[in-house]
Amino acid sequence: MNSNENNMHMYKDRIQDIYKELNKKYSHEFNLSISNGYTVTSRSSQVENIEYHEDMALNVSVYNDYKKGSASTNNLSLENILKTIKKAENISQNTQADNCQGLPESDFTEKDWDDLGIYYPTELKVEEVIEMTKDCEAEAFRTDKRISNSEGSSFSFSKNAHMILNTNGAYGTYRSTDYSLSCIALAEENKLMERDYWYSSSRDFNRLEKGASIGKKAADRVLSRLGAKTIKTRVCPVLFSPEMSASIVSNFLSAINGSAIYKKSSFLLDKINEKIFPDFVNIQEEPLLINGPATRPYDSEGVLTKSKDIISDGVLENYLLDTYASRKLKMDCTGNGVLTNVTMNSSKPLVSNMLSTLHDGVYITDMMGSGANTLTGDYSRGAFGYLVKNGEIQHPVTEITVASNLSQMFHNILALGDDIDLRNRIRTGSLLIDNITIGGTN
Amino acid sequence: MNYIQNLVLDNHDLTNAKLENILSVACPKNIDFADLYFQYINSESWQLEDGIVKSGSSNIDSGVGIRSVAGDKSGFAYSNNFNYENLIAAAQTSKCIVKSGQNREIKLGTIKDIRKLYDPVSPLDFRKDDIKVKFLKAIDKYIRDKDDRVEQVILSLVGVYDSILVLNTDGIKAFDDRPLVRFSVMVILKVGNRRERGSSGGGGRYSYDQIIDTNFAYDFADEAIRQADVNLQAEDGKAGSMTVVLGPGWPGVLLHEAIGHGLEGDFNRKKTSAFSDLVGKQVASTQCTIVDDGTISKKRGSLSVDDEGCETKCNTLIENGILKGYMQDKINAKLMNTNPTGNGRRENYACLPMPRMTNTFMLPGDFNPSEIIESVNDGIYAVNFSGGQVDITNGQFVFTASEAYLIENGKVTKPIKGMTLIGNGPEVLKKVSMVGNDLKLDDGVGTCGKDGQSVPVGVGQPTLKIDEITVGGTQV
Repeated sequence: MNSNENNMHMYKDRIQDIYKELNKKYSHEFNLSISNGYTVTSRSSQVENIEYHEDMALNVSVYNDYKKGSASTNNLSLENILKTIKKAENISQNTQADNCQGLPESDFTEKDWDDLGIYYPTELKVEEVIEMTKDCEAEAFRTDKRISNSEGSSFSFSKNAHMILNTNGAYGTYRSTDYSLSCIALAEENKLMERDYWYSSSRDFNRLEKGASIGKKAADRVLSRLGAKTIKTRVCPVLFSPEMSASIVSNFLSAINGSAIYKKSSFLLDKINEKIFPDFVNIQEEPLLINGPATRPYDSEGVLTKSKDIISDGVLENYLLDTYASRKLKMDCTGNGVLTNVTMNSSKPLVSNMLSTLHDGVYITDMMGSGANTLTGDYSRGAFGYLVKNGEIQHPVTEITVASNLSQMFHNILALGDDIDLRNRIRTGSLLIDNITIGGTN
Repeated sequence: MNYIQNLVLDNHDLTNAKLENILSVACPKNIDFADLYFQYINSESWQLEDGIVKSGSSNIDSGVGIRSVAGDKSGFAYSNNFNYENLIAAAQTSKCIVKSGQNREIKLGTIKDIRKLYDPVSPLDFRKDDIKVKFLKAIDKYIRDKDDRVEQVILSLVGVYDSILVLNTDGIKAFDDRPLVRFSVMVILKVGNRRERGSSGGGGRYSYDQIIDTNFAYDFADEAIRQADVNLQAEDGKAGSMTVVLGPGWPGVLLHEAIGHGLEGDFNRKKTSAFSDLVGKQVASTQCTIVDDGTISKKRGSLSVDDEGCETKCNTLIENGILKGYMQDKINAKLMNTNPTGNGRRENYACLPMPRMTNTFMLPGDFNPSEIIESVNDGIYAVNFSGGQVDITNGQFVFTASEAYLIENGKVTKPIKGMTLIGNGPEVLKKVSMVGNDLKLDDGVGTCGKDGQSVPVGVGQPTLKIDEITVGGTQV
């Protein structure tokens, strides 16, 4: 397999060589990603798929008197790079002028980035990886005889390199690795089947959860789903698992994204300095977290990423702005051409036993569908969870809906759990939210 | 024209003999089957927002996927580089799924003469770019002139020309050239402090002329304004179990989620679907006949051949409520001792194929849509949806309405806010008590995701009534 770093330097030289030939009438930006790796899946104690991947993509953006054009290719021969540049230039002759368009003017990356704590290459043998996936699946089957089937266990590895160059002088490279191991287990009881999964992911192979532990958790999770019942429609407090809480926070982050704001398509329009969450809630962006799943030194435009408070004591401090959105909204660019790691925190101590804090209500561990409307905040999704009485799980609950409005849900947060999910780019524990409508039987 | 022949095979001197060699390397004697999937995708998109065509982009993605299959095992590698040596190296990687065996000789057949469901004309060769820009500006002006509550208009025009060549050790050599265009419109209307959205759009396997030279886009613009206007008046809906009438066309996303995915061959071979082992059994009410039809000319979900070189078909999945069969690709058909159904699809050369839907819809029944509405005392009439999802193992599925109304005493009354419906696939279809005579297919905007792979699909249905399903409003 070719080495990403060697390729990166070769392409950097190739692109810089053509700098002098570039038409000075335009400004240019080059984004290059290279990634290679593999996915191995084993099922029923045998290897099922081995998939190797090796990808590269060059994206060229061109600005021509406030007019923008983009083009991309996955063939990085000199001839193709030149063709791609020409295409972007041609498109920029037809798009319309918008004086907010253009390369960033300041705050951009100018170096090769290393020591970010996200690059841990490990040479693994395919045989070793196959054994790891087999062990992971085997542990799920060993857990209980009601584990009747599986969709197998998968291991993925990828080694990534990124480079940005622009004709204003931005230059940056960084590398990363990603490892993940997962297992999907099925359980059967009274001829009814359920599925559930567990996974671990890390930048560092050595920090990956062991296969046996993943298989066991997948099995325990699916077993706990057996015997699910419907419940009556009600309004009650709901405890959302860390994974589900992260999806709610991600709805919040979409609604404060610069493009949603300047398009006036967000329920959080004109809400800077207003209280969105209860006093005790804080949300920060932390771009350079060691082993962070979304750690990046610079954003998609080469602007340095910045640590920032997004919510401070419940108040909205920042929208997430790239260069274009910041000019459009006449605000400062926040380096959010991408969003990096986000942490939700509480100024009150994090709660360790959220079920007893919930006391009576529903604990939601899975949601389905696209029912979060970030224009109006209206929220309605399908869900799976558990009925909780006196702080104890009574039985699994299926075929229910969860409905409210995101504005109200944010205000109605009662407590944050200490069960923080470190796998997710959005780091949060479980959230207890009051006054949610659960749709069920009549 | 086919880009594979000109830009790939001829340019890289990939003769039949060389292609046969690559296949031989990918398919030694202990491998059952191997295929090569050459692809050259040329695509572009144009976006209008805030009244101007702000950006355009053009993309080329090309490569070869090489797969070696032994029983239920697949080895897979791909290359973005078409040089013979790179392809041989990828074939060597792909065959590693089993311990090495002796090489065998592969002979390619002659090019298969394929029934063509669309013209091999690239939308990207359509006139000049400034025509697309003028078109988008004209639609924007039309929308803004028509309604002074317009706060935002977002338009997009996307064109794709996807050339493929499938070669396999059965001797198949099949070219296909797949045009695909899509126009989308999203309008936000504002009254006081309230903003609501309406979305519409359509497309298919043809060039831009069918969008730009017709009233097509204006109809979608009208539709988006109408939907946003309805949503401005929508009130909070109730939560709980109720009777729901689904409108014709796009609400067919119900079928896609409630039964479509559950009838894909891979899940049924592995017996992980709620529909496993139910062929010949009653899984829906007798009024339901459901097909997956990849052969409708120029439809978004149609393909002349699937991504394994098999001709697509019109497959009956459910007939009068009885489950007839599953959708298959080559591997799963072989392992289940049946024939491929032309449903082997992949997002692109970098992904493994699997059984996927094409255009999935329910055939018309006997009732007038008005009779169906009149039969409901207290319920919901849902006519537009934003998407859905399913857990194929327990059969739970959701789909989210973006336009819905109350039905009171047999009449459609107030609009209610968008909400999610949740049900159990094998149960809900048994509760379909009336099927309308107004079958309609969607306008060509659907995209289906499975295992991280997206493919264009179609859905459709007549008006139909479900006696009971759980609805996710906020009011109790």
